[in-house]
Amino acid sequence: MNPVRRPVLRRVLVANRGEVALRIIRACREAGLESVAVYSEADRSARHVRAADMAIQVGPAPAADSYLRADRIIEAALECGADAVHPGYGFLSERADFAAACQAAGLVFVGPAPATLAALGDKLAARRLAATAGIPLVPGTFEPLATHTAEAMAAVRAAATRIGWPLLVKAAAGGGGRGMRRVDDEADLAAAIEAATREAAAAFGDGAVYLERYIEGGRHVEVQLLGDDHGRIVALGDRDCSIQRRHQKLVEEAPAPGLSAAQRRAVHALGVRMAEAVGLRNAATAEFMLTPQGEFYFLEVNARLQVEHGVTELLTGVDIVRAQLEIAAGSPLSDAVLAAADRAPDPRGHAIEMRISAENPLHDFSPEPGTLTRWRESGGPGVRIDSGVEEGTVVSVEYDPLLAKLLVLAPDRPAALARLRRALDEFEVGGLQTTLPFHRWLVDQDDFISGRPSTDLVARTWDPLPLWRAAAAQAVDAVARVAADEQRAPLLAHGSDDPWREAARREAVDRCP
Amino acid sequence: MPVSAKGRLRLTVEGPEPMTVDVEPEDLGALQRNAVEARSRVGGIADTAASRASGQRRYEAVVDGWVIRITVESAERAQLWELAARAATESRPHVGVAVRAQIPGRVVRVWAVAGDSVEVGQRLLAIEAMKMENEVRAPRAGVIADVSVGVGQTVELGDELVTLE
Repeated sequence: MNPVRRPVLRRVLVANRGEVALRIIRACREAGLESVAVYSEADRSARHVRAADMAIQVGPAPAADSYLRADRIIEAALECGADAVHPGYGFLSERADFAAACQAAGLVFVGPAPATLAALGDKLAARRLAATAGIPLVPGTFEPLATHTAEAMAAVRAAATRIGWPLLVKAAAGGGGRGMRRVDDEADLAAAIEAATREAAAAFGDGAVYLERYIEGGRHVEVQLLGDDHGRIVALGDRDCSIQRRHQKLVEEAPAPGLSAAQRRAVHALGVRMAEAVGLRNAATAEFMLTPQGEFYFLEVNARLQVEHGVTELLTGVDIVRAQLEIAAGSPLSDAVLAAADRAPDPRGHAIEMRISAENPLHDFSPEPGTLTRWRESGGPGVRIDSGVEEGTVVSVEYDPLLAKLLVLAPDRPAALARLRRALDEFEVGGLQTTLPFHRWLVDQDDFISGRPSTDLVARTWDPLPLWRAAAAQAVDAVARVAADEQRAPLLAHGSDDPWREAARREAVDRCP
Repeated sequence: MPVSAKGRLRLTVEGPEPMTVDVEPEDLGALQRNAVEARSRVGGIADTAASRASGQRRYEAVVDGWVIRITVESAERAQLWELAARAATESRPHVGVAVRAQIPGRVVRVWAVAGDSVEVGQRLLAIEAMKMENEVRAPRAGVIADVSVGVGQTVELGDELVTLE
C-alpha cells in the first residue's frame, strides 16, 4: 500500500535549549510522544530540563562543548532509547553532517534530508540553484570572494562596482546576521570583507563570503514551507520580518502587511518552486527581498524551524512543530495543513511577534548578561508567550540573548497593534536590561503602524537617550518614595526578615551611634 | 508620622549621563505617604561590601521596560566622599582612565596601540560575546598608555582593557 516505510516515533530527543526546546517538548507532550532534553552544566535547572520526561547532560557551559557536540548528543539519544532527534533552530539544526550521523545511528532527524541541508547551507550553492530554477535573485556574486592577491582583490572591486553601492558582504555559511556587513563605498570594502570573513570563520568554521546588492528601503518577506515524504510541498503563508537591526530580526508578522492576493500567490509559488528544486522534506522557510518597486528577489532558504514560526501558527491554526513530527514519522501532510495552505493567499487575522532579548537598547543593543530578579509575562486574550526563562534564571554570555517571544493574534492589524501595546505594558523584567523599551517605542512609530516597515527603520530612527531620561526621572521619583519610607522602617520592622528593612535598620544604626 | 533620618538624601542614577537628585528632609514625609504605589516597580539590589561600608543602598526601578539602578545615600556623606576623592586626584595629577570590559567574552581584535592618540568614540578593541562582536570605543580623547589584553584572551566583567591618559 504505502511505499514509504513508516518509522515509529515514541521518544524524541530535543537537541536544543531555551524557549525553542520548551516549544518542542510541549509539542511532543501534546502528540503523545516522550521527550528527552539535553543540557549543559549551566542549564542544569533550566525550564526545558524540568519540562521534558528525561534529561541528559551533554557537557560544560560553552555551547561548543555541549549543545554543538554532535557525537555526545547522538550518544545521549541512543543511550536513552530515543527514535528521533529534533534540532530546533541554531546549534546543529542546519548541519548536514549531523543529520547524516543521526540517520547512520538509526535515528530519525526531524528536518530536511542531509543532501538538502548541504545544498541550502551554502548560501552560494543556494543562489546558483535558485538561478537554475529561474527564481529572481538579488544581484550579486555566485562564488566565494578571493582576496589573497592584488589581482584577486581588483576583481572583487570590479564586481562590487558592477553590483553598485551600497552592498552587503555576506557569509556563504551565514545565518542570524552573523558574518554580514554593509559597505557604502569602495574605501570600506576590504575592511568589511576582512571583518565578515573573521566573524563567519568564528561562527560557522567557514570564512567564505560573497557580495549582494543592498536594497534600500526593501522589505524582508518570507514563506513558510512544509513538505512530506510523498513529494507534496505547500506554502503555509508569508511573514514580514523587516524590522531588523544589524540584520537580526526583532519583529515578525503574519501575514506580510499590504500584499495583494496576487502578490501572495506569486511569492508562495516562488517558495514552493525553490523547495521543489532542492527536494524539500519537513519544514523550511524561503526568504525574499521585496523591493520598493514590488519585485521579489530570492535571498536564501532556512531549512529548519524558524524562530518566528509562531506567528504563522497563530494565523493558520497549524501546529508547525507537530506537523514536523508527523512528517518525520512518514505521514502525508494532514488535511488541516492542506486546507490552511489553500487559504494562505487570502489570510484572515493578523499575528505579530516581538523578540524580547537580554540586550541593552541604550548601548547599541550590547549583550546584557545577569540574573533575572523579576520576570512577569503578559497574559490575557490573544497573547502567547514562548519563553525559556523564569525568575532566578542566570542569563549567560555563552548563549543567544533571546529570552522570550511575545506573540499576539487579533482580527486585523490595528487590533493586533493595540493588543501588542497592552501586552508590552504587562511584561515586566528586572535584574537585567532587555529590549522591551525598544519594542514599546516601536509600536508607536508611524512607519511601523502604517505597515510599511523597511529593514533600515531602526538604524534610521532609534534614539534611546530621551526615552531613557524620561524613565530615569520617574525611577528617581519612585525610589525616593521607597527610600523615604525605609527611613522610618527601623521603628516598625523589628523581627522582619526583609533584607531591605534589615539594610535600612543598619543604616539607621550607622546614622545614630 | 515620625521621620527618623536627619539631613538630605542623595539619589544617583547609574547610566550614560550623570543624574543626581537631592531630597530635602522636609519633603520626606510627603514622599513616604505615596510609597506603596512606588514599591510595585522598585526592587532592592543586594548590598555589596563597598556599598555597605559607605552607607549606600542600591535600588532598581523598572519603568517602561527600562531597568534603572539608583544609589541612595546621605547627601552630607556623599559630599565628604567627593571631597576626599578630589583631594586624592589632585595630589596625583597624571591619573589614567581605565577602559574596562562591560561584558565578559573573548578579545577577537585589538586596534589600540600604546602611544597612539585616540579621539572620543574611536574603536579600541572588539570582544566576542553572545556570538556577536562588540566594539569597545574610547570614552574620551587621549593617549593610550597601556593595552592590557591581547587577541584570544578571555576577559571578565570589569577587567581593565586599555589605559588612557
